[in-house]
Amino acid sequence: MSLKLIRKFTLSALLIATPFASAMAQTFVFTAIPDEDETKLVERFRGVAEYLESRLDVDVRYIPVKSYAAAVSAFRNNQVQLAWFGGLSGVQARGLVPGSQALAQGVEDEAFVTYFIANTSTGLEPSDELTDDVRGKTFTFGSKGSTSGRLMPEFHIRETFGEAPEEVFSRVGFSGNHSRTIRLVEAGTYEVGALNFQVWEKELADGTIDTDAVRVIWKTPTYPDYQWTIRGDVDAQYGEGFTDRVRQALLELDDPALLESFPRSGFIPASNADYEPIRKVAEEIGILD
Amino acid sequence: MFASPTVRVSLLFVAVALAGLVFADIAITTSNPWRDLGRFFLGVVTPDFFSTEGLATALLRTIAFAFVGVALGSFFGFILALVYKAYPVRMFCAFIRAIHELFWALIFLQFFGFHPLTGVLAIAIPYAGIFAKVYSEILDEADPEPARLLPPGTGAVATFLFARIPDCWVQLRTYTAYRLECGLRSSAILGFVGLPTLGFYLETSFSQGLYSEAGAMLVLFYVLIATMPLWVRPKALPFYLVAAPFFLGEGLPIVWGNVARFFTEDIVPAPLRNNEGLTALGSWFGDLMISEALPGIWNTLLLTQIALVATGLLALLAFPLISTHFGGPVRRTSGHVALVIARSTPEYILAYILLQLWGPSMLPAVVALALHNGGIIGHLIGRQTNGIRLRPDAPAGFNRYSYELVPRVYRGFLAFLFYRWEIIMRETAILGILGIYTLGFYVDSAIQNIQFDRALVLILLTAALNIGIDALSRYIRRRLALQTMPTC
Amino acid sequence: MAGFDLTALTASFGGERVIGPLSLTVEAGQQVALVGKSGAGKSTLIKLIYQRVAGHAALVPQELGLVNALPVFHNIYMGRLDEHANWYNALTLIRPFRKDREEIRSLLERLDMKEKLWVPTASLSGGQRQRVAIGRAIYRNAGLLLADEPISALDGPMAHKVMTLLCERFQTSVIALHDVEMALAYCNRIIGIQDGQVALDESSKRLSANDILNLY
Repeated sequence: MSLKLIRKFTLSALLIATPFASAMAQTFVFTAIPDEDETKLVERFRGVAEYLESRLDVDVRYIPVKSYAAAVSAFRNNQVQLAWFGGLSGVQARGLVPGSQALAQGVEDEAFVTYFIANTSTGLEPSDELTDDVRGKTFTFGSKGSTSGRLMPEFHIRETFGEAPEEVFSRVGFSGNHSRTIRLVEAGTYEVGALNFQVWEKELADGTIDTDAVRVIWKTPTYPDYQWTIRGDVDAQYGEGFTDRVRQALLELDDPALLESFPRSGFIPASNADYEPIRKVAEEIGILD
Repeated sequence: MFASPTVRVSLLFVAVALAGLVFADIAITTSNPWRDLGRFFLGVVTPDFFSTEGLATALLRTIAFAFVGVALGSFFGFILALVYKAYPVRMFCAFIRAIHELFWALIFLQFFGFHPLTGVLAIAIPYAGIFAKVYSEILDEADPEPARLLPPGTGAVATFLFARIPDCWVQLRTYTAYRLECGLRSSAILGFVGLPTLGFYLETSFSQGLYSEAGAMLVLFYVLIATMPLWVRPKALPFYLVAAPFFLGEGLPIVWGNVARFFTEDIVPAPLRNNEGLTALGSWFGDLMISEALPGIWNTLLLTQIALVATGLLALLAFPLISTHFGGPVRRTSGHVALVIARSTPEYILAYILLQLWGPSMLPAVVALALHNGGIIGHLIGRQTNGIRLRPDAPAGFNRYSYELVPRVYRGFLAFLFYRWEIIMRETAILGILGIYTLGFYVDSAIQNIQFDRALVLILLTAALNIGIDALSRYIRRRLALQTMPTC
Repeated sequence: MAGFDLTALTASFGGERVIGPLSLTVEAGQQVALVGKSGAGKSTLIKLIYQRVAGHAALVPQELGLVNALPVFHNIYMGRLDEHANWYNALTLIRPFRKDREEIRSLLERLDMKEKLWVPTASLSGGQRQRVAIGRAIYRNAGLLLADEPISALDGPMAHKVMTLLCERFQTSVIALHDVEMALAYCNRIIGIQDGQVALDESSKRLSANDILNLY
């Protein structure tokens, strides 16, 4: 038995010295914020990876992450070089990585909207503005780092009521993602929720929403949202003009099935300056220092 | 009876928990919680093992992370145990084990990213702290007589190898095996923050309501834990240890510049980083304390105290399930199965499941903590009662329970419960990541906002709270003269 | 060190004096038997002497002090840990050297338990465990033996065998014995202890069993 003791400790010592295999030098890696059900995301972005690989002559790999912050951190840490960010996560990421730039956005992202939805049992009716009727209800955001599911709804709640969401609603939660927000409000776990209008419209079209249980009660004014952001040092790493080639590839993406999965009708050029309004709102709310 | 100090302390804790219930948010907010619960159980009994392609890989990774993490933790814990008498070492160990695996993972994720090292260290570091403490307790228990008989001039190493280690070898091995089981649980939940273990897929399936997929993963996990005695054999251990590092997956390469940046920039409080002076630092800290730390600490304490008492009640109710003094073999076997499931399920996963089913409040957390910890303690004292020989004319049924058994095991029960107090608090804090407003909620929020300086202060506060509870628990155990065994 | 000359031997337990103060001189070549009823202080005196000679003696305590998890071989080998380097001792834990194996095997042969060489001491009977502790003391190779009831669990023939062996291997010894006949047969000096004091100190040649039984 003492023999085993010695053996075990020797092995433990060996383990420390064992280097972890990591041989993926020139793979171009990208990620995306987990704003929807993961199965859908994996399906969508594997398609994008294949498409980019065919256009860029490098290995392209998509890695799924569990939170918005993880997407931003991976981008910041140069473990991914490209990311499909929301408005807020993009602003955070570009603030942390000097030289990084917004490459392209969806046609719909220029004028993005957040929908406030409510369980029908609350009796809340659609209206042109956020009314006092929502006071005292339970409310869920999407992810803590989401633009359409957190930042913009919080901004509008504060603007309308002059109070923090915790004071307006009896209970405030974070569902995690937009699909989940629909499920939770549908089930009555929360009475009111706020989410990305594209996710709502797509699920509505797919017929996965029980419209007897949940309805839209308010639509926010428009704001810029999702965009592809790339690191500033990719040209040095993958060759001169790589950034332009990635941008070109994204703008020329016209596979209808792939676009439908986003869902976007196409991609158009975007710049860092397009997202100034988002940065200002984030600072106002205190999410950005 | 009320003069007994153990009874008085128990009543005090019950009173605190009842008062806590007044302030706690324990509503079920889902409109139809039982329907979802029903669908979930349907999923568990109709597991779908072939839907997720990554299931086998995830299982393998879960095992690999557990083995490498626990092996490293045990190795360094053993070394620390040798110098555990030194005060700085004790403090260091108390500190590293006061921070939960998930918090460590969240920290390492920020600079190692999705590299296997993140998961390995997240397990190895807190486990080293725990191993150091328990190993040193076990070594202290060794019979001192053989060492006294050695010829003068015998070296310290030889004394240690011959007179100390062999005598506590069995306890060291038993405890390490128990920790390996804990390591499997820790490894599984690391998936919830993005590492490629079981929790990753469990979260995915569960959040989409794919209960048969989630059920399959849970069933596999139970089988994995229940069959441990069959596949964790001393002979096979070297093989596992050598093989495990190769099954961690490759993740993404580490960029070392990120490590330096994390320590020199990210965790420096924002006002200092931006050279805004000490006044700004003061107001930054004040704001953090008032808006996040204090509410977090309050909720963490509240939930901990309620969960502690709920754990105790459940353990007292559950131990007859496996006690030989009640019921026949059939009932006892089903009791064993129930308790094995209760204690094998990581409380994080239990809380996650219940939160999905019942909606957000403290209730799912209380139930999850009580089920897991109550299952462990119930199992331990149930086994203790099996060693009790009752007189032939002892009463049966409830009288046997309340007059013969509970009074005899009550001190042991309290010892276990106070021993787990600190563990329950660690878990309570971490459950905040799931959306209950404990310290973990604010830590997670700070990380989501990329404010690691705030996150770190909150994590340090959590650690301090844990160390405080640990000290209080030891004080109470000493005052009540309660014996504890480290294998709990 | 073979003999010793100790003064002011004293021990208290819970504020109550159990031994001494007394002086004790043992010359090289003396085989001393400590006799007296249980509780008289024999065990305490043996421990006290062991402390005072700073461990330069082979000790067989009543509780034996075996490492139960280790085999017989290693328990005996522990008598000479000081003679080897750490690496040698560590290797011996895993795989003992032939020279040591042979030596300890032949010692065990004298104790009639050669076949138990690799058996963990936890699984031995009381008498066998006692012989392992004696084996360790002999292997220790010290000039002085201090033993506390070393043959209490041995049957007649084995007890005689062990006492013969002890007298043969140790030039000087102090052995607590409750068996008066054995004391007279194997020791050349008898010291009787009563209430922590020396009540009798004579050469065994001048004593009969009856003289000693007065102490009980």
